[in-house]
Amino acid sequence: MSIKDRSAYPETGWGMPFSNFFDQTVTVDNRAKNGRSTKTFIAEGLWQPVADNIKKGDYLIIQFGHNDEINTKTSYTTEDDFRSNLTRFVTEAKNKDVKPILITPVTRRKFDTAGKIVDTHVVYAQIVREVAAKNNIPLIDLDSISMKYLQKLGPEQSKLLFNHLLPGENPNYPQGKEDNTHFSELGARKMAELVLAQIRIVQPDLAARIVKGKDIPIK
Amino acid sequence: MKIRKIFTCSFLLIAGVLPAKHINVYMIGDSTMCLYTADRLPLTGWGMPFADYFDNTVTIKDEAKGGRSTRTFLSENRWAPIVDSLHAGDYVLIQFGHNDEATEPQFADRYTPLADYRRNLVKFVTETRSKNAIPILITPVTRRNFDKDGQIKETHLEYSKVVRAIGDSLKVPVIDLDERSRELVGKLGPETSKMIYMQVDSGENPNYPSGKRDNTHFNEYGARLMAELVLNEIKRLHIELEDRIVKAKQTDQ
Repeated sequence: MSIKDRSAYPETGWGMPFSNFFDQTVTVDNRAKNGRSTKTFIAEGLWQPVADNIKKGDYLIIQFGHNDEINTKTSYTTEDDFRSNLTRFVTEAKNKDVKPILITPVTRRKFDTAGKIVDTHVVYAQIVREVAAKNNIPLIDLDSISMKYLQKLGPEQSKLLFNHLLPGENPNYPQGKEDNTHFSELGARKMAELVLAQIRIVQPDLAARIVKGKDIPIK
Repeated sequence: MKIRKIFTCSFLLIAGVLPAKHINVYMIGDSTMCLYTADRLPLTGWGMPFADYFDNTVTIKDEAKGGRSTRTFLSENRWAPIVDSLHAGDYVLIQFGHNDEATEPQFADRYTPLADYRRNLVKFVTETRSKNAIPILITPVTRRNFDKDGQIKETHLEYSKVVRAIGDSLKVPVIDLDERSRELVGKLGPETSKMIYMQVDSGENPNYPSGKRDNTHFNEYGARLMAELVLNEIKRLHIELEDRIVKAKQTDQ
């Protein structure tokens, strides 16, 4: 989701293209950061400035899970803590009349031997769904939706969505890269498109601020 | 004393201690190379990602413009101001052809016969050199055009040949992007290659509610692939510009 340093290109967070598709009444302030879980986002003091800055009428888009759910990472967050941290974000937003939107963690590129996509976020995505239901706030089930999209593409074409680079292909990755978690600029934009389509369903007031396309012809 | 100063100075030069001089790299060409505003996304000219891969001794000045042929680029007075601003050591990357070769009646405004195309390219090269700047010729990037057997077709035949011939006769480095990109798109095949061009389903992207089926222009991903091909050809041909391409740095995940 995060904004990447130029030296990491073409790795792209879906928040980057996402911000291009709103009209001038919206500022997308992307505070996401690589490697962070709900736990480390709070512990490193990344949440407090958000809590301080948000104001009535704002939206808060929340997507965590990748770094919470891996119990070998220092960012690991227990299921209970993941639930209570998400609840904290939602509650603090609501207390300031800010509208939270919860998003289940976007899929990884993992297929079984039969070519069927594997859900790598089963437990943590379910917690997100439950927190949304319990607090009666909009949910974008990006885990499920992006899995369906990857399944449609299949194991081969889906490589184009991720940061897959041949050795010598890209100056920033001389040894090449086969990352099945982080997106290429194409994957990031496709994910942004999926999220925008869901916003039209779950948050029509925000959807009203998505750009009205002009279908500008190409010369 | 004077002699010692000169000696010190040349020693620094030999040792490469002096920081590289700042240069401008001008890009002239058409819609496949030019800059686009956010309301056109995901439409992307390959000059856009290309600019991300140079160090801070380089400023990329992408002056390419959609729909332009060598003829209209000149007649609209887009070239003369570039020549005026060129300094010794600057580069001019030249990629035209898509609009020059368009013979359909609706493109009469841009069509340029082969002889004129040749003359215009020679003018770009000669005037660049007159300012001690360095021209690089680039053959027009491929279209997505497959035959019924799934083999990619060559669509710029005559015009790409002219670019290569000028490269030979005037000793100008030629980046054969037509050939390199044709290999790449051909390898992706008829289906997967759709993912790198402006192929947008209706309702998929807010900027193109009606969708788009375009086999000439690239999305952000295709544009970056084309930029990578050009960067790698700059390295393969050992054009001095290669020293200014970014060196990888370890990034955290």
